Amino acid sequence: MSTTLSPAVTTDRPALTLPPRPSRRGQTAATAVVGLALLVSATTLDVAWADLLDLPRAVWDYGVLMFADPDWSRLPRALFEMWRSISMAWLGALLCVVVSIPLGMLAAHGVGPAWLRLALRGVFAVIRAVPEVIIALVLLTVTGLTPFTGVLALGIAGIGTQGKWTYETIETLRDGAADAVRAAGGGRLAVIRWALWPAALPALLSFALYRFEISIRMSAVLGIVGAGGIGSMLANYTNYREWDTVGMLLIVVVATTMLVDAVSGALRRRIMEGA
Amino acid sequence: MTHDTQAAEAGHAPASAAWPIRLDGVSVIYPNGTAALRDVSLTIEAGEMVSVVGLSGSGKSTLIRTVNGLVPVTSGTVTVGPHTVSGLSGRRLREVRGHVGMIFQGFNLAPRLDVYRNTLVGRFARAGVLRRLLGVPSARDRQVALEALDTVGILEKVWARAGALSGGQQQRVAIARALSQEPSIMLADEPVASLDPPTAHAVMAELARINADRHLTVLVNLHLMDLARQYTHRMIGLRDGELVYDGPAAEATEADFEQIYGRRIQPPQRPAEQP
Amino acid sequence: MSAPASPGPTSEAPLVLPPRPRTWPRRALTLAALAAFTLATCLPAIGGVEIDLGAIARNWRHGAANLSALMQPNWAFVPRTIQPMLETLQMAFVGAAIAAALSIPLTLWAARPTNPNTVTRTAVRAVINVIRAVPDLVWATILVAMVGVGALPGLLTLVLFDVGIVVKLVSEAIDSADHPYLEAARAGGATQGQMNRGLALGQNLPLFANQWLYALELNVRISAILGIVGAGGIGRLLDERFGFFAYGDVSVIILEILVVVLVIEAASNLLRRRLA
Repeated sequence: MSTTLSPAVTTDRPALTLPPRPSRRGQTAATAVVGLALLVSATTLDVAWADLLDLPRAVWDYGVLMFADPDWSRLPRALFEMWRSISMAWLGALLCVVVSIPLGMLAAHGVGPAWLRLALRGVFAVIRAVPEVIIALVLLTVTGLTPFTGVLALGIAGIGTQGKWTYETIETLRDGAADAVRAAGGGRLAVIRWALWPAALPALLSFALYRFEISIRMSAVLGIVGAGGIGSMLANYTNYREWDTVGMLLIVVVATTMLVDAVSGALRRRIMEGA
Repeated sequence: MTHDTQAAEAGHAPASAAWPIRLDGVSVIYPNGTAALRDVSLTIEAGEMVSVVGLSGSGKSTLIRTVNGLVPVTSGTVTVGPHTVSGLSGRRLREVRGHVGMIFQGFNLAPRLDVYRNTLVGRFARAGVLRRLLGVPSARDRQVALEALDTVGILEKVWARAGALSGGQQQRVAIARALSQEPSIMLADEPVASLDPPTAHAVMAELARINADRHLTVLVNLHLMDLARQYTHRMIGLRDGELVYDGPAAEATEADFEQIYGRRIQPPQRPAEQP
Repeated sequence: MSAPASPGPTSEAPLVLPPRPRTWPRRALTLAALAAFTLATCLPAIGGVEIDLGAIARNWRHGAANLSALMQPNWAFVPRTIQPMLETLQMAFVGAAIAAALSIPLTLWAARPTNPNTVTRTAVRAVINVIRAVPDLVWATILVAMVGVGALPGLLTLVLFDVGIVVKLVSEAIDSADHPYLEAARAGGATQGQMNRGLALGQNLPLFANQWLYALELNVRISAILGIVGAGGIGRLLDERFGFFAYGDVSVIILEILVVVLVIEAASNLLRRRLA
């Protein structure tokens, strides 16, 4: 259906004929469905929406309780526990990277046989789908509630994502170097050693550092479910409602995480720039 | 000043009259120390079609951007019509920019949006406070934008995604965007450098037509002498930020161009190589 | 520059090589630092992790029994999981939607092309960085203590988490891309607000949509466990069943979570391909 327009300035210009507007019916229908689903979900959710009005006040009150006068007397213990969490995160990330790089490489096209590729990718997908905390809880039943368990949980839970990033990195590499090695007579191992590994190394290192950044956060979470570290200290003092200590702990967690993020981010940038 | 006000009274020209451009001892030194323009003074009368030629780095881009304040001047004054651009900022600068249309070498359209929404950008400066807040175009905005598209002959593509058009078509949309500002000056920064020769001629012919029909002041940066000679009345040559030529475009000789470029246009004959 | 070898069979001049860059000291230093760091993480005295492989060996039999119990799902338990699972999905969905709405202005404020004002941009980025530095379950724990047990703290946790991720990723993407259409709008006299709403938002919508879907995927996984600290969803049931050592029930819950996550991931991938 074309529409016509009459110009306002002079009368001796012909009316404009526009082409028909493309139909947006599909898009509108989809938006309506999503909107309806949203509305239904929001109203049937067991949330007293009126409580949201009290939220700013509650945030302010608790904020004051936590940060107006944080309890620094427990700082030494907090730092001890924070180092425990960092250690969990570091060793867990190390374990994860060491396991996932060879497995990820095998899962890439052109490296391993097809059945192995599918099997590995399936394992990665399953591990990725299960929340890390659940993996940790399952492991805790086997090895008990210790920071070492936390290390194992972090290591294993991250394999899914690291593996995926590894094989994606390898697959998006340019074929040039691999072709050159093959043309010179190199076998599969030579291709990996001389073409894939050097080209993929910067990205893999970058992902390894990123895994450490993620692990720092995960180790606090594992602490909450009992693996030790700053998370358990946080959970305890929140239970006791000792807000000034909780405030101090939050400051420690945020400061450490942001520091690790900054250092890791800077390192990653340098690695990728040098690539 | 003369000719187009009479034309406006006769009812042919659009609502706004053309403006002259005046640079007085303008110098631009970038923060890194590069002197892009050195003490340039020139006057362009309202309704003239002027080309600026020179090598890359000669200051052409800087010159044209001082006219609408995209590049601030280090010394000297730039005047367009009744307004002094150099030293303006905020709302007043936006107001002046609303009267100066500009097209670019890279077309500068939003590729994901349709041609209509891209053209409407030209109406932004005219919006009152309420419309600015709501982001809703008025009926007049719609009409002016569509008529501008019709003028450049691309109305049938009004609902197409801008990124799906060819280079020449995109530049036409850009011209329509500038025209929908109902401008008093039209600036063109290397508008045809990315286009093939037939398309380049078509776009230059469009600009020349706009200059003739609407008596708009047009300032074009060009790097090809043929186009400057064929489509513009007056040519300005820049070399190393200085004005080195100012005269009728049709009378420019190859020697003049060599002076502007500072080197020979044709490579010198080489002596035959030793066998 | 190395001197060229002279042509002809009888070349007498030796090859002159440029000096070899010395990279090994830096590399050795990096490795030494890494080794020292790793060592420090293994010292329990300062808080490091005690690597106790012996404990695993000891607990193995007990653990193996648990593991085999986990492999035997108790299907009769499924009806009891439906309501909490639904709550999990609702939290994930509503949380993602609220976060999507909030993320639009925040992202535009956090990126340089859409917000040239350094002060407000840095402020927004700082707030987002602090939000991102707090892990999801920590937010949940504190919010539960603040507003009480239920779905509300879970919802708030998800919103905070999503906003942190979306704003960071999309604003970085906007920062690293070119936006020539903004220069044209500026040349025509538009205000930053007009440019953002009229051009930047529409042009960058795929970036947003991509991250919103990613946030939804993450939400489903996170909201499954928020219940462990009382913030709603199936996590509470999971924690309870773990506490009773009812591993058959636990395995059913884990399987359900797995299925839901995989389905959402597949749907999200499909959608993302259609939108891109």
